[in-house]
Amino acid sequence: MLAAGAVGQGGHGVVAQGAGHAVADGIASAASGPLWIAAVPALAMLGVVLTTFCAIFRIKSKLPAWLTVACLGGAFATTVGAYLHLQDAGVPLVVKAFTWFDLSWGKGPGQTLHADFAFYIDSLTCLWMLFVTGLATLIGLYASEYMSHDVGTGYCRFFAAFNLFVFSMTCLVMGENLLVLFLGWEGVGLCSYLLIGYFYKKPSAVAAGKKAFIVNRIGDFGLLMGVFLTFVKFGTLSFPELWPMVQPYIDMVKAGHGADVPFTVGLIPVLLMVGAFGKSAQLPLYVWLPDAMEGPTPVSALIHAATMVTAGVYLIARTYPMFLVSEYALPIVGWVGALTALLSATIGMAQFDIKRIMAYSTVSQLGYMFCGLAVLSSAGAAFHVFTHAFFKATLFLCCGAVMHGFAGQLDLRKLSGVGFMKGWGIVALAMLVGCLNLAGFPFTAGFFSKDMIIAESFVTPGPGYQLIGWILLLTAGLTAYYTFRVFFRVFVGPQCYEPGDEVHAHDEHGHEHGHDHGHDHGHDHGHGPETHGSESRATQSRATQSRATQSGATSSHFHPHAPGWAINLVLGTLAISSLAAAGTYLIGDGHGWAADMVHSSSANYVGAAAFLETAGHAEGEHAAHGSFLGMDPHKVMYYVSSIVGVIGIITAFVLHYMGRTTAATSRADALLPAMGPIAKWAQGKWYVDEFYNAVIVLPLRVLSHVFHTIDRLLVDGLVNLAGVLPRFVGSKVRPWQNGLLHGYAVGMAGGLAVLIGAVVLLSM
Amino acid sequence: MIERIAYLWPEMTLFVGACVVMILGLSPNANVRRQTSIFTGLFLFIAAVLGMSTPSGRGTDWVILPELMPFAKPLIALVGLLLLLVMAQTVDRDEEAALAGGQPFNALRITGAEFYAFFLFSLMGAMLCATAGDLIWLFLALELTSLPTYVMVVLSGRGRRGFGRSQEAGVKYFFLGALGAAIFLYGFALIYGGTGATRFVEIGEHFAVHGMNPIALVGMVLALVGVSFKIAAVPMHFYTADVYQGSASSMAAFLAFVPKTAGMISILLLVSTMGWTTTEGTLPPVIDSLLWALAVLTMTVGNVLAVLQSSVKRMLAYSSIAHSGYMLVGVLAGPGSSFSSNGVAAVLFYLLCYGVMNTGAFAVLASLERDSRGEPVEAEDVDDIRGLCRTNPVLGWSMVLCMLSLLGFPPILGFFGKVPLFTAALGAGRVTLVVILGINSAIAAFYYLRVVAAAMLDAPAETGARDSGVPSRGLAALICAICVVALSVFGESFMRASQTAGSPRAFAERQDAAPPQLPGHDADPPHDAPAGADGTETLSLHD
Repeated sequence: MLAAGAVGQGGHGVVAQGAGHAVADGIASAASGPLWIAAVPALAMLGVVLTTFCAIFRIKSKLPAWLTVACLGGAFATTVGAYLHLQDAGVPLVVKAFTWFDLSWGKGPGQTLHADFAFYIDSLTCLWMLFVTGLATLIGLYASEYMSHDVGTGYCRFFAAFNLFVFSMTCLVMGENLLVLFLGWEGVGLCSYLLIGYFYKKPSAVAAGKKAFIVNRIGDFGLLMGVFLTFVKFGTLSFPELWPMVQPYIDMVKAGHGADVPFTVGLIPVLLMVGAFGKSAQLPLYVWLPDAMEGPTPVSALIHAATMVTAGVYLIARTYPMFLVSEYALPIVGWVGALTALLSATIGMAQFDIKRIMAYSTVSQLGYMFCGLAVLSSAGAAFHVFTHAFFKATLFLCCGAVMHGFAGQLDLRKLSGVGFMKGWGIVALAMLVGCLNLAGFPFTAGFFSKDMIIAESFVTPGPGYQLIGWILLLTAGLTAYYTFRVFFRVFVGPQCYEPGDEVHAHDEHGHEHGHDHGHDHGHDHGHGPETHGSESRATQSRATQSRATQSGATSSHFHPHAPGWAINLVLGTLAISSLAAAGTYLIGDGHGWAADMVHSSSANYVGAAAFLETAGHAEGEHAAHGSFLGMDPHKVMYYVSSIVGVIGIITAFVLHYMGRTTAATSRADALLPAMGPIAKWAQGKWYVDEFYNAVIVLPLRVLSHVFHTIDRLLVDGLVNLAGVLPRFVGSKVRPWQNGLLHGYAVGMAGGLAVLIGAVVLLSM
Repeated sequence: MIERIAYLWPEMTLFVGACVVMILGLSPNANVRRQTSIFTGLFLFIAAVLGMSTPSGRGTDWVILPELMPFAKPLIALVGLLLLLVMAQTVDRDEEAALAGGQPFNALRITGAEFYAFFLFSLMGAMLCATAGDLIWLFLALELTSLPTYVMVVLSGRGRRGFGRSQEAGVKYFFLGALGAAIFLYGFALIYGGTGATRFVEIGEHFAVHGMNPIALVGMVLALVGVSFKIAAVPMHFYTADVYQGSASSMAAFLAFVPKTAGMISILLLVSTMGWTTTEGTLPPVIDSLLWALAVLTMTVGNVLAVLQSSVKRMLAYSSIAHSGYMLVGVLAGPGSSFSSNGVAAVLFYLLCYGVMNTGAFAVLASLERDSRGEPVEAEDVDDIRGLCRTNPVLGWSMVLCMLSLLGFPPILGFFGKVPLFTAALGAGRVTLVVILGINSAIAAFYYLRVVAAAMLDAPAETGARDSGVPSRGLAALICAICVVALSVFGESFMRASQTAGSPRAFAERQDAAPPQLPGHDADPPHDAPAGADGTETLSLHD
């Protein structure tokens, strides 16, 4: 608030004087919203600046973390203030920080590009802002402990990127026009890249960073094209100006003339959607997200689970009116979402790395959100985003705590009964809460939000939407299974563990730097550096060497250490928030608080969607109510999905808990041969990466070599020619610059003479 | 006449300041003499504050660009303050060193006060150009801007190796400047001869009512070409590289901004007497073709010659030619109703951008020195700034930012300065010119990026340059670098101010009285059009 206000005011003071006439500060008064709302991104930017200064001054303490928590906490408080203000105002607010672009190259329509650096605050924005800033604050606090092994410039670098991420994300969700949104969009992509590659000395982390960046580029290309087309078609990028322009098309659809909507208008959402698929890791662009787990776990929790990946959902929700007037956009979104949900759930079932399982579950849950949007339940989608943000952050941070305590061990075959070890109670409880939510256990937040989507997909008469409903229902069962597979394997059962491959580094580290860390809680040894193995790839041979040891008789040089107060505090808060999120379903009218937030925004379903017509239901959902086996899905779905979820949990219980005596084996292993190659394929992630490599990467590489050769021979020749030409001309002209006074005078007089001659000739 | 005093407070402040500084400079006490720079800054600051409150010239009968003064005067004074930071300690360094070495104070050897006084006089001349209401005033103001610079060029190199070069540069600059002055003075005389008026407003009214007669036309051509000397436009650009290189880097920064601003303002004043009588007006075709040729030649020649330079200083000299060419594009585009379609506003805003980023680049150069045969000389070669980001991060990154800004790299100031030039020219339908401008920007990338790469990527040279020990220059570089970034975000109000400043006086009432003189020329891109209505007149007069 202070930063934005002070700088803005200062800038204006100077200029008002410079112009010599007292221009009243037009920005604040012209905008309908108060400028202090701009403090949300401004505080995050302040965090970037402060942590950068920490890096410059080589601060070797946890100062950057506390600065981050303070800035982001301030941003959260401001967001709450903005939310209350919005409730009072009752209309969307536009807060203009400054004019960003104001270009015109003609008088006609579409020849003026005006984009303010402004924020559009409606209830949809507020919903996202609340959990983005709130979770970022909590995760910042968690990271203060989690990253403590890296205190120094690495710590500063981490928190600078962290703050920059929050800045970009708030720009993304608060942007008043597609350009600010795009700035945030690219900003979060950049921060994601920086943070995935945080351990830049580790090749796999660098590769994962590059992969995320490149795959996202493909999506961004679509988004950019969508933005261009929006500008070409509508001549503006500003949301409040766009809605009235889209309204005629919505009226057209309402009147049953959806087929008359121009093709280009219908194309815009398809292009925007490609961007959403990239950022939100949907088929076919989901491959980057599991690899993104190479980053530090707080990053995985914040960026790759809770906030950034929901940007795609936000984009579609934000531009929902445009999607509604397109005949094919929403059905594509729905089918892509459903297939992604199913595919990644099957992959998640067969993985052993717990963080990776959570990554696939994120992809899968994002699929649900896309389905929610597609089945005209934007409220359900947003509610699922909201609940998912909390429980997925909980789950990731629990996995991170395990990884932190067991020297990077993430293999569920090498950990067991963690919950019963001393000091791990809160982690295990938080994990249980997260798992129940993810599995859709009755009366948890995840249960309500998932139900809204599944029920609506049976109700909405879109192309094949019944099938989407069945897929989602099946996926819900699979989700419950793989979620509790993790819980039953790792957190309960016989206590045994095997440290990750960072155990040696850990010891050296502890001895050398044990005293530099400035821990505020007493441990005999330094924190296990999570650094160099976010994903344990301990080979089998290695695992046999340091064979699992029973608790109480731990190996002589490794002690798992339980998380400290910061991690426990954050996990406790998150677990309680995850539970409390269920409560928001019960308040408000209809479908809870989050749904109300969506209903009062532009993402509200307005009772007309172009694709409904094509399915032969021009009058919308209520005229032709879909059904679930002849029953009303809205009512029956609570029971059906409860049963499905519980079945999944029981399956996991039977296969992975009952009768299990070691960490490495379980009853499920007996089933593997029966499943034939399917299990292997699922474990190999359906070989999608290999497929992409063979079909896209390899041909591109070959092509790039071909082009490289052509480039060297042909294009370089041309470029060199272009470079040589000015040089050649210059070398011919240069002798005139011979440094002789009379030469110059002759040049001037001669030039003048030529010009005068030309003028006289022209005038004749 | 007396009412003009209200507009002249900044100039009078600078005049008093120059006198005070000169008198202080006669003091027998070395410490008092050292205060001259502080007094210079003080008076400049007061002039800047007074300049901001200069009244608008709307409603007067002699101001042709009514809102120009409140923009141009503070601009000149504020950039002058930046330049002062760069130019401090340019002269008298040897004497100061001798004093520090225990030698007695030699009052005759100290020239600092003269230098600062001339500095103030020159800035005052530039401000007076903005105040000019008639040709005679404009001529005197332009000469007041230039005459002190001839001396300053010589003084700036005094007492160090290369003094010979600075003397040579000063002499060249003086003679060629005199030639240029003679040309535009002749032009002014012919304009008077052709219109019978010296005041711009009357000249403009005459053109609006009677059109341009051949004498006035030739006078205008001479005047514009002559004034081109100040902005270093082709064909009056020959002196640039030699003079810049001969003078100290700090002085070159001054030369690249102050005379250029004075010249640019003069061109705007002269051109606004013709055709800009309404916001949609067009220039007479001959003048239009002339300016078009000047713009294209200037930017192309400047860029092409800059490519070949290995000396950063010479490169900056040639690039300053190119930047004048860019600004001429804005002049051609003419005024418009919004900032992005107003070429005049684009020129004024570009002057601001150019003043900041160019001063920053020269400030970095001026902050560095290297040994040449045992004696420190100013850094000027690309080799001197290799690896500067590592050896001296503040200077290095300032250089990188200023160079990127000069190049027009998107998110920073130079880009936001250049975009209005593009959009204004596009809005005026001058596609060819925009294409040429684009090609030239691409050529410019070549040599600017070379410097950027040298500063950022290369390893520091073993015998690299070191800090020359003038902290104010580093400060100036830092301020410029900060401005280059900050103004790109908070520059909106400056754009608005330049839009206000760039709206010309309307001769609406006169036009109503008399039919427009150039029928059929309103919409065509005039440089394609052959001689128009006035062409026939020319013929008849020639007979």
